Amino acid sequence: MKPTKLAVLGTAIALAAGLTGCAVSPQGGSGPGGTSTTLSNEPVTISMYWWGGDDRIQRTQKVIKMFQDKYPNIKVEPTYGDWTSYWEKLATMVAGGNIPDVIQMDQLYLASYAQRGVLAELNQPQLDLTTMSDSVVDTGKWGDKVYGASIASTGFGVLANKDALDKLGIALPDDSKWTWDDYATWTKSISDASGGTIRGTGVMQNEFQLQLFARQLGDQLFKGSELVIKPETLAKYFQASLDWVESGSAPSASATSETINATLDQTDLVTGKAATMFIPSTMITTTTAAANGANLVLLELPHFADAPQGWEYMKPGMYWSQSSKSAHPAEAALLINYFINDPEAAKVLGTERGIPSSSSALDAITPSLEGPPKAAVDFVEGLHFGAAPAIIPTGASDLQPIIQRYCLAVIAKQQTPSQAAEALIAEVGASVRAAQ
Amino acid sequence: MSIAELSRMARGRGGPKARQKMPDNKPALVFLGPWLIGAICLMIGPIIASLVLSFTNYNLLQPAKFVGFDNFIRMLSDPRLRKSLEVTSLYVLISVPGQLLAALLLAILLNRGLRGVTIYRAAFYLPSLLGSSVAIAVLWRQVFGAQGLFNAMLGMIGIHTEISWIGDSSTALGTLILLHVWTFGSPMVIFLAGLRQIPTELYEAATTDGANAWQQFKSVTMPLLTPIIFFNLVLAVINSFASFTQAFIVSGGTGAPADSTLFYTLYLYQEGFGSFRMGYASALAWLLVIIVGAATAILFWTSKFWVHYED
Amino acid sequence: MKTDSTTLQAPPRAKTARLRFPPRRPDPVAITPAPTPAAKSGRRGQTRRRVLAVVKHVCLILLVVVALYPVIWMLVSSLRPDGQIFSNPSIIPTTLHWENYTYGWTALTKPFSTYLVNSLLVVVAAIAGNLITCSMAAYAFARLKFRFQKPAFAFMLVTIMIPIHVVIVPQYILWSQLGLVNTFWPLIIPKFCATDAFFTFLMVQFIRGLPKSLDEAARIDGAGHGQIFFRILLPLMTPALATTTIFTFIWTWNDFFAQMIYLTDPKLYTVSIALRAYIDAQTSSSYGAMFAMSMVSIIPVVLIFIFGQKYLVQGIATTGLK
Repeated sequence: MKPTKLAVLGTAIALAAGLTGCAVSPQGGSGPGGTSTTLSNEPVTISMYWWGGDDRIQRTQKVIKMFQDKYPNIKVEPTYGDWTSYWEKLATMVAGGNIPDVIQMDQLYLASYAQRGVLAELNQPQLDLTTMSDSVVDTGKWGDKVYGASIASTGFGVLANKDALDKLGIALPDDSKWTWDDYATWTKSISDASGGTIRGTGVMQNEFQLQLFARQLGDQLFKGSELVIKPETLAKYFQASLDWVESGSAPSASATSETINATLDQTDLVTGKAATMFIPSTMITTTTAAANGANLVLLELPHFADAPQGWEYMKPGMYWSQSSKSAHPAEAALLINYFINDPEAAKVLGTERGIPSSSSALDAITPSLEGPPKAAVDFVEGLHFGAAPAIIPTGASDLQPIIQRYCLAVIAKQQTPSQAAEALIAEVGASVRAAQ
Repeated sequence: MSIAELSRMARGRGGPKARQKMPDNKPALVFLGPWLIGAICLMIGPIIASLVLSFTNYNLLQPAKFVGFDNFIRMLSDPRLRKSLEVTSLYVLISVPGQLLAALLLAILLNRGLRGVTIYRAAFYLPSLLGSSVAIAVLWRQVFGAQGLFNAMLGMIGIHTEISWIGDSSTALGTLILLHVWTFGSPMVIFLAGLRQIPTELYEAATTDGANAWQQFKSVTMPLLTPIIFFNLVLAVINSFASFTQAFIVSGGTGAPADSTLFYTLYLYQEGFGSFRMGYASALAWLLVIIVGAATAILFWTSKFWVHYED
Repeated sequence: MKTDSTTLQAPPRAKTARLRFPPRRPDPVAITPAPTPAAKSGRRGQTRRRVLAVVKHVCLILLVVVALYPVIWMLVSSLRPDGQIFSNPSIIPTTLHWENYTYGWTALTKPFSTYLVNSLLVVVAAIAGNLITCSMAAYAFARLKFRFQKPAFAFMLVTIMIPIHVVIVPQYILWSQLGLVNTFWPLIIPKFCATDAFFTFLMVQFIRGLPKSLDEAARIDGAGHGQIFFRILLPLMTPALATTTIFTFIWTWNDFFAQMIYLTDPKLYTVSIALRAYIDAQTSSSYGAMFAMSMVSIIPVVLIFIFGQKYLVQGIATTGLK
């Protein structure tokens, strides 16, 4: 039996070595793994990984084909998945040492992956980031280095179904200076007018929205890698949702819980059970399509009367990042540049990933913009942006489901807003501290 | 400890013989060869690795760091772990008997000479094929949502309600139990087979003795079916402790509302892949192994009181 | 796990049911329905039986509707434009939007047939692997006496209790070091190593149900273990093998997690991965196409069940715990 035991031991050691050996070096900010920063003339293969539905798959593959036609020596191997499995698989791939060269990133995860040395600093000459404003470039920074090139950025607002409002005989509000009190009154009038079949609003359960809400109160969510939001701010945020549910503006706790994780097609606004929805402004395009082309209008987010200037900011929708272990950093950077800046690529990609952050891409598609995408661009131009806050730090990647969990606990009256606020701060704070 | 019991079964009924010299080592090596290779190369490694990882802080992206018993100490004061244990226990306690009962009743109904048995069997098995697909998540919402089919049917019999059964923390687990019961196809097929195994002569003998249908069921069908019931029960318990997919697709992996559908493996998954705490997730996995092992052991212990084995 | 055999007693044989089974009948003819033992003669009895049968059928049909409701709903939804799927709760088909099928078939990198073929490939290999190696392992556990038999069997059972999410990463690293990630091998090779303990367990039970006198007679005639296994036991195990085939088919066909982790190239995607590509939580989803392709993809599963269930029932019938 000795040989067996030895074999077992051997495998275990090999695996333990694998677990430690394959994981990337812990120091953040390592440069590209490969040696060359110039393009090769030899045949080169790079891999690319993104999440998204069938429309994105088609557009992205078309652009990959165009890229390969333009650079015949570079072959791009695509991989895609849905949002949930994307992060499972990416983490597994990193653990196994098979990191894709070009990775679609989200701000929830950017810090986690950058800090742990998975991503390369985007300083290759092939990638031009001057096409986007400095504040947008900054949203891709962890520490003082850029790890993510913003693909698209978005504002945040209230999406209202004008068709439904017209039917109820309710006018659109003046959204240029409406307050949360106005919002509560207006949304209640919708619920009342429809007898409860169409609700005036949903609850607040979105991380982006929490950031904005905190900024309106002069507060912020994170400072560097620290959770700093005041319990009072958070309690106020939960209290607002609770008030709406109690007044009937928003659907009941159980109905909210049913749709809180639903895909866009199943949200109350799309299925006609609600007249408004809080939403990143660029999503007006897909929402309109999902709602059978209903007339949807973007309204500014309500605010507090004494909110400081510049509480609004542009949030990056997603980024392109590249692996720190890439054997072909120059080609990877070239591919990212093509996706971000190339006018021809921009025409194919359209606004499927959002309104492009790059001016050269935006210029290429602006003339042909009409309908909802144009409304999204116009909406953003009317907002007054301040500086973007720090990205979500390592250890808080699951912030969104945590906010939702406490929000549901509050509206189901299992916790008071201040209890939920304290508990959320304790939970997220501990997780962030542990991850640093 | 269940393992001792189970392996005793596997060894067969060789009480005294088992102590003798084992003459079959070589042929066993041949027949078990593929499994041995798999066990050593593919399974022991990852299993030991997960055991080792349970003593580390491992975020998947960086090398694991040894932290001693930290993960196990954290378990003692983890409210969500406690919640997930409650949810899972409740789920196992209700859904396992529920599903087995549904399967047994239908198997009995389908057993006797009936036209179209094949079609019924296929129809009843279909839910088991679909039980874990994305479509079911969508559908469950359509049925048990606030404006769902279930409420519409209640409305028809005069009960008007706007409650969302999957959205209310007191009923959400109930709908998942129902979903589990609804996929009774596999145990049903096995029960049906068990019923078919009962020799018809026994029923004939019982009829001659003047036993009515119920008496026949009690004295012939049930006793002879207990080994099959036991077989299904053990497998159902192991499987429902590990239930993941249904809760995952119905709540989008969150355990919502208010953690009322936070199954144990769902929590383990959230910790491992959602929060990058694979070390803690591994520790949770080993706790699960101990719990399921104990539950199986208890089942085996009770079996001597109610399972009737043939000699 | 401590395997302490002294603390636990084997369940003593219960004394209540002293009924004996007749000799086992491996031929399919034996699977005739048992005659209803109720009223044996007389017109009244016959009418009663008929009424009873009608009641039974009505109940069963109602249950079939409940059981099949989701499938019908899926079928109806697959024939609706995306915008109507969630806003129209009715199950009555109002449209015949066949575009979902034509669009769904071609919406991803490759025509949907590619994914069907990939799934089929993995499934067929998995079935072959399970049939060969699980039956071999089962023979060893059920009929042979060897060292470490108990711990080996115990280990086999522990492997079904460990959640996949904590072993998948070490396993992935293993396959990655072997250079086999992004091939079908990580999905197939384990099946050729009898890693599906469920089936080994099933077949152990089955073999133990076959009379030992068969082996002993063969051994007296000079047959070795190989001959006993191949010539005597394997033919008698056809039903158990059928059970394994059908269950492996369905489970592998529906498996998502392992396939998603190991397959990277869209050309290698299987049906269960492809079906998720129509849905994205953040952007637009093509639910109609997803339902349409779901319908297409359950056809093989239903077919194999309908054609295989005769053997399935028969297989387990001779496997019962004994």
